Amino acid sequence: MALQAGEIHALLGENGAGKSTLIKIMTGVVQPDGGDVFVDGRQVRVGSALEAQALGIAAVYQEPMIFPDLSVAENIFISHRDRGRIVDRGAMRRDAEAVLDRLGVRLDVGEPARGLTVAAQQTVEIAKALSLRVRVLIMDEPTASLSAHEVRRLFGIVKALRGEGVAILFISHRMEDVFQIADRVTVLRDGRWISTRPRSEVTPASAIRDMVGRTMGDFFRRTPTRPGDVVLEVRGLAREGVFAGVSFTLRAGEVLGLAGLVGARRTDVGLALFGIAPADAGEVLVDSRPVTIRSPQDALRVGIAYTTEDRRQLGLVFPLSIAANVTLPTLRRYLSRFGLVRRAAEDAVAQGFKERLSIRAPSVRTAAGSLSGGNQQKVVLSKWLNTRPRVFILDEPTRGLDVGAKAEVHQIIDELAHDGIAVILISSELPEVLAMSDRILVMREGRQMAVFDSAEATQERVLAAAMGQLATPAVVV
Amino acid sequence: MARDIFRRLVRWEGLLLAILAVIVVVTGIAVPGYLNPQNQINLLELSIEKAIVVLAMTFVIVSGEIDLSIASVMGLSAVLVAWLKEQGVPVEVGIIAALLVGALCGLFNGYWVAVIGLPSLAVTLAGLIGYRGAALLLVGDRSIGGFPEWFNRLGQQPLLGPFPLALMVFAVLLVGATVLLQFSGFGRYAYVVGSSPEVARFSGVRVRRVKLAVFAMSGVVSAFAGVLLLARLGAVRGSTAEGFELDIITMVLLGGVSIFGGSGTMAGVILSILVVLNLRNGLALANATGNTQAGVIGALLILSVLVPNLVAAARSRLGRGGSAEAAVIPKLSDL
Repeated sequence: MALQAGEIHALLGENGAGKSTLIKIMTGVVQPDGGDVFVDGRQVRVGSALEAQALGIAAVYQEPMIFPDLSVAENIFISHRDRGRIVDRGAMRRDAEAVLDRLGVRLDVGEPARGLTVAAQQTVEIAKALSLRVRVLIMDEPTASLSAHEVRRLFGIVKALRGEGVAILFISHRMEDVFQIADRVTVLRDGRWISTRPRSEVTPASAIRDMVGRTMGDFFRRTPTRPGDVVLEVRGLAREGVFAGVSFTLRAGEVLGLAGLVGARRTDVGLALFGIAPADAGEVLVDSRPVTIRSPQDALRVGIAYTTEDRRQLGLVFPLSIAANVTLPTLRRYLSRFGLVRRAAEDAVAQGFKERLSIRAPSVRTAAGSLSGGNQQKVVLSKWLNTRPRVFILDEPTRGLDVGAKAEVHQIIDELAHDGIAVILISSELPEVLAMSDRILVMREGRQMAVFDSAEATQERVLAAAMGQLATPAVVV
Repeated sequence: MARDIFRRLVRWEGLLLAILAVIVVVTGIAVPGYLNPQNQINLLELSIEKAIVVLAMTFVIVSGEIDLSIASVMGLSAVLVAWLKEQGVPVEVGIIAALLVGALCGLFNGYWVAVIGLPSLAVTLAGLIGYRGAALLLVGDRSIGGFPEWFNRLGQQPLLGPFPLALMVFAVLLVGATVLLQFSGFGRYAYVVGSSPEVARFSGVRVRRVKLAVFAMSGVVSAFAGVLLLARLGAVRGSTAEGFELDIITMVLLGGVSIFGGSGTMAGVILSILVVLNLRNGLALANATGNTQAGVIGALLILSVLVPNLVAAARSRLGRGGSAEAAVIPKLSDL
């Protein structure tokens, strides 16, 4: 793909399409395995962030990367190495104000950046890029945390930059942003370039068509189950400033997929149901009885289990044995009258799971941290299965696993449904959600957009809902 | 096979045992009568209160925290018994009051750390100053003695055979602490909370409760050790037990308990106590000054922190599996 001076070029793609990796290559954070990068027709190698800076490539992210305790002016000039060793504060203030002027922005450059709004912090980052004579400005989801008013101002700034001849690569999940500001639109899918077209030739529907169509051939086929009684009912669940209006019912033996793009707040719904970050409005009913879930202990008591997307940080105690990890949430069951751990009972239950889920390890006394990712995930699943959950929330259960391990986890999910467990599957992989779920709840920026039956769900429809381009009215179940 | 031997050698307890053997053999040859049981008992007796607190401190550090206020709690509890005696309160009642105050001190520390979420380093540093201040307020810089005969006898004379009370208390507590840390559900929670507090929280472990309990235990045990110290010394002043916290923390860390929490064993800690005491004694017998003793122990402590990390770094460089963190703490997998 080519970026022209003075154009705003939108980059679209589903989760995992390769947008972030492309940014990392352009800004020198990672090195490409193949292919070439040219700046002004000259082939270059972007070996580091410093080299990217020298080439005039800069990036602004959704969450600004600023130094909160430094002033606005200091943040703008933090990367300058061309002014000798002594800081001339007066000159720095004047120059900072001059740069902000070019953007048509007024800020007190002496203020610490901490007190600024996200929008103002982004402006500081753009000013920083401008002061470094930026040629290519990459903006990764810059509007995700902004209000409508702030978005308009940001677009004003972006257009001013375009007027100065800067090439802008604009990445966003918000179709309306893209169609409002982009001159051209490029779509990536599965790490490949799919299309580049002038905006006038693109419609939301055509863009989504280009984005979907990932292959489903390798994916697991569910064996049909007959859903049982309603186990979980959620009405108007909300957490202030995070998500709102989430409602669904879930039957025993059903798999409900939670689909959405990055920032859709699906994980937050899971965390609310598990009591880590409790909801502050709405009702949760388990077996038709209203329950209050304020802590993981509450969740476990009513039979809700949750496996985290961050297996490394939150899933397992690595130095502990497989057995000790498996029994951690239920340790009380394995204590003798005097509070001592009954190792034999603990080993026996872990051994049972080791065989049932075919965890490949020398023994159940092996340290959990020494296992492969797939086997670690199976230990995590064992740990929660051992709580005998009614509702099992699986957050990105196959992330980072190889193909074989993924298939095994899919097999396990299918078996859970067969055993009458109600499963909530949070996954960023659209084909996975479609293949595994009986119903699919689509979220976008903390709001429930639609619920599809697996029969009526297609990648296109789910993605359209996730991007706010709803073809069909939201189904409220 | 070679790898297994390497692992066993690297196990901290093995290393400590080797160091202890060297110290004992060298001193035993150089100083006649050193290995005499009575000498070993005397040696232990002189630091027995510290050794008792080391047991509680092990739990604190395993759970990923630190308690700097222990020596001040020891001093405060000893002073409290003495002050109450002056007010006409029987020593028996005074001891109970001291234990209660110790528990309150520990709970106070634990409240700020576990419930409010402040760093224990800061909270217990405040405790170190505050509890010591309370002791000084009660008695000023006077020395209070004149305790009942039975109380002094308990502290100063052998109770059973050659063993004084404090030593037997230590033995009982050592067994109890070992069982609690290595075999009980509570011990498991302490390791988990120290190793991965977030995993613990996500697993429904009541992290706050575990930390509160650990700090309360540290307070009670310190207060109890303060009373034993009072009985042995026969008199107390506001500055009693000042500076003990450094020796106590040194013994725990030298025992292989990671300052980052989540690893270490009671076996290592008891070996470390023996190493420090014998090293001190041996050096003293060799006419080394107190400063030299402190220097040698300081060097050992630095080594105890450095060596496991260097080994871990070397291992991960050799690609012997796992992250650097995982390699520092191979023992826990035996749990």
